[in-house]
Amino acid sequence: MKSYWRAWGILLAFTVVMLWADGAAIPRLAFTVFVITAMLTKASIIGAHFMHLRSERASLVLTVVVGLLVTGTILFVLIAPDAVRIHHMVSVR
Amino acid sequence: MTATVTSTMDRWAGGTCPFDAGWRKVMMWWFIVTDGLLFAGFLAAYGYARLLALHWPDQATVFSLRYIAAMTFVLISSSATMASGVQAAREGRRTVARRFVLLTLAGGALFLGMQAFEWRHLIGEGARLNANPWGDASFGAYFFLLTGFHGTHVLIGVVVLAATAIRSAKGWTTADGVEMAGLYWHFVDLVWVFIFTLFYLL
Repeated sequence: MKSYWRAWGILLAFTVVMLWADGAAIPRLAFTVFVITAMLTKASIIGAHFMHLRSERASLVLTVVVGLLVTGTILFVLIAPDAVRIHHMVSVR
Repeated sequence: MTATVTSTMDRWAGGTCPFDAGWRKVMMWWFIVTDGLLFAGFLAAYGYARLLALHWPDQATVFSLRYIAAMTFVLISSSATMASGVQAAREGRRTVARRFVLLTLAGGALFLGMQAFEWRHLIGEGARLNANPWGDASFGAYFFLLTGFHGTHVLIGVVVLAATAIRSAKGWTTADGVEMAGLYWHFVDLVWVFIFTLFYLL
């Protein structure tokens, strides 16, 4: 049970640091990279500790994680060039 | 080498139980993956809408980030109590498990109340699905879509937790039942991590 509260403390610490970074004078790109890294770390902690993925069989973990990663990559990265192109088209108009 | 190959075969052959988990857990995971993809779709749509927007509102002027952080604190804490409840249920400590489930339920209800207050405040300031006083019109639509859809999940979670607590008190649920409720609840927390970062912070 202790490990859950340790994970809770880490999640809380990440949240506090993310909020601090939001108010600090950090370059936009560095801030973006930092909060996205922190977000993914927090998600991994929840998945591994609270949802017990670290103790599940590799077949289940890979099915879940790879499925989400591949679709996430398609949604957030592979569609991006088209989205940027549309953005430019709208800007020109 | 042979031992490694055999071990790998054992691990992947699966037989009647390829994931080494019960049907309820596997079905819950499939639900989580598909529901997660739905949220991913919403967040991607929001990202592209924001990219297209000429003037996206500055979140710091629209929201109180301290208030949103308090909501995050409540949800993260409820995840920790839920995980402790699952652990207690696995160890056969039903009363302790039920108390943790009830604590989680209280956290969920508090989160919903805070979200209702936030909605009321923003609607009072002029936020609508198709317009808002701060900038791009789609801001309101995405705010209500993302937080509303997530809030609905929290509400469903609260109902599931209440049912789990009642069933546990009557001795109708097993540790597996508490674990399934827990998986769903952690998923709700997981989604909030993304909404908090991508919608409120970035």
